Amino acid sequence: MALRNAVLRHLRVPVQNLAVRGSNQSQIGFLGSIRAFSSHDDHLSKQDVVDRVLDVVKSFPKVDPAKVTPEVHFQKDLGLDSLDTVEIVMAIEEEFKLEIPDKEADKIDSCSLAIEYVFNHPMSS
Amino acid sequence: MVAKCQVISLCRSLLRAGRKYPDYNIREYTKQRTLDGFRMNGNLTDQSKVNEVYAEGKEQLEVVERVLKVYLAYPPKTKNIMELNVQ
Repeated sequence: MALRNAVLRHLRVPVQNLAVRGSNQSQIGFLGSIRAFSSHDDHLSKQDVVDRVLDVVKSFPKVDPAKVTPEVHFQKDLGLDSLDTVEIVMAIEEEFKLEIPDKEADKIDSCSLAIEYVFNHPMSS
Repeated sequence: MVAKCQVISLCRSLLRAGRKYPDYNIREYTKQRTLDGFRMNGNLTDQSKVNEVYAEGKEQLEVVERVLKVYLAYPPKTKNIMELNVQ
C-alpha cells in the first residue's frame, strides 16, 4: 500500500509541476509533448514572418519589388517618406492583426525592425 | 507650434479610426483621403498654415469618430464584393 502510494506520488509529480509552472515547458519526461496551460502554441516561424512582411512591402504601389530585401530601409533605400512609412506600418498591423502603439511604430524604419517586432510580439497571427 | 511627430500621430489616429468602419467603401475612402490630405499639405513651410491644417485634421478626426458610432449601429448586412476572396 505504501509502495503503491509512493509509486503513484512519483508518477503524479510531473503533472503538478506542469500546473504550477503554467505555460513554461521544462524537461518533463513523457509529458513533454503536452503543454496544457500554454496559450500560444502556434507562434509564427521567422521565415513566415519575413515572407509576409516582404509581401506587404512589395505590394505597396510606390515600392519597386525588386529592391525589397529583409534589410531594406524604407526611407533610405526605397525612397519613401514618413507618411509612406506610416502607411506600411499600418498595412503590417493589418496583416498580422496587431495593434502597434505609436511609440513603437515610430521606431519601425526598416524591414528588419518590422520583422523583428512582429516576430517578438506574442499576439501576431 | 505643431511638431512633425504630432502630425504623424494625427495621421495614424485618422487611419486607425477609419479602419473600424464596417462599410468597405467608407474605410477605403477615409484611408485614401487622409493620405492624400497629408501629402498635399506635406511641404508647407509657413508655421501658421501648418497649425491651421493641423487643426482641420483634428476636427476631421472628431468627425470620423462621431460618424463611426452611427455606422456601427447599422452595419451592412452583406459583405461587399471587394472583400470576398475570389478563387
